[in-house]
Amino acid sequence: MMKGNKICEILDIQYPIIQGGMAWISDGNLAAAVSNAGGLGTIAAGNAPPDVVRGMIHTAKSLTDKPFAVNIMLMSPFVSEVVDVVIEEKIAAVTTGAGSPSAFAARFKEAGIKLIPVVPAVAIAKRMEKLGADIIICEGMEAGGHIGKLTTMALTPQIVDAVSVPVIAAGGIADGRGMAAAFMLGAQGVQIGTRFLVANECTAHENYKAKVLKAKEIDTEITGMTTGHPVRQIRNKFTKTFNEIEAEENKKEEPNMARLDELLAGSLRLAAIDGDVDNGSVMAGQISGLVMAEQTAAEIIQEIMDKYNELTTGGCC
Amino acid sequence: MVFEKIREIIAEQLGVDADAIALETNFRTELKADSLDLFQIINDIEEAYDITIENAEEINTVGEAVNYVEANKK
Repeated sequence: MMKGNKICEILDIQYPIIQGGMAWISDGNLAAAVSNAGGLGTIAAGNAPPDVVRGMIHTAKSLTDKPFAVNIMLMSPFVSEVVDVVIEEKIAAVTTGAGSPSAFAARFKEAGIKLIPVVPAVAIAKRMEKLGADIIICEGMEAGGHIGKLTTMALTPQIVDAVSVPVIAAGGIADGRGMAAAFMLGAQGVQIGTRFLVANECTAHENYKAKVLKAKEIDTEITGMTTGHPVRQIRNKFTKTFNEIEAEENKKEEPNMARLDELLAGSLRLAAIDGDVDNGSVMAGQISGLVMAEQTAAEIIQEIMDKYNELTTGGCC
Repeated sequence: MVFEKIREIIAEQLGVDADAIALETNFRTELKADSLDLFQIINDIEEAYDITIENAEEINTVGEAVNYVEANKK
């Protein structure tokens, strides 16, 4: 365990590296692999029905006896059933996105489940702390998938100053340098998605992984800036179509943005499961350009920690 | 009093004219506040009155925020 690190203490893990919850991508296999390697793996519930989430949890439990998390997407139509499953299965920690977990915070606390909301702004971080959050994940817009407006560099120190619970930085981090930088900003842990997406144990379609491995730093773009649900993904035929529809709807007197959200929901599955990376949505972070090789989760974590330790021990100058 | 103060907080956060804000004004539909704006407004109100607003998600109109503060302020 990293000495004196609050994230490791609270979550009972060896390294303060959390694998980001990625809908349709991070299942029980990946979560267990990351947890076995000393980090905190995360199963993404996404919009999945409760029995599917339970299945992923059972897979993870069959592969590891270490703690892991479930990411609950609060806009899911199954959100309350998924919360029931997580409580019944006595999951160690829950990360939440896309809304406020206020309706469930008391139940998590009662069940001894650590509550870790992912937030894009100081005001929300403060609100989540009042709600009883054990840790806050501060996510910058460098991240893949649904994002906020601020960068990790600007957001992290401001959230660290605003709350008294420990903070995990996310967005744009894929190696030991990024982790060291996040710690300089006051974070005590990092959440990493894109790099784990290409882990050997990740069951995402090989075409999806290939797209991320091939991507350069300029290859992601944000769609949905005007729908209120901006998403970072790798530029392809799908993003082009999406942008065209978005522009078209914006010209109408009463734009139908729900049309776009529906398009997006099905498209992630299309890319991650079916491997159609032209017509599907290949969500990934800006750091994709740095992600070069498929490795095991253990190799990824070891490489990150080795570099982090090299940079932070002995100090500079 | 409370209404004037809250109106000032909202006007500043959303960059709208204070005169355009009435008790029955809806944050989302009329003032076009998104969830982040609302969190910011709730935080500012909490700090101004040194209170904690429970179930902030249930507040839809300016009047509901004013009523909450009047019932709970110290």
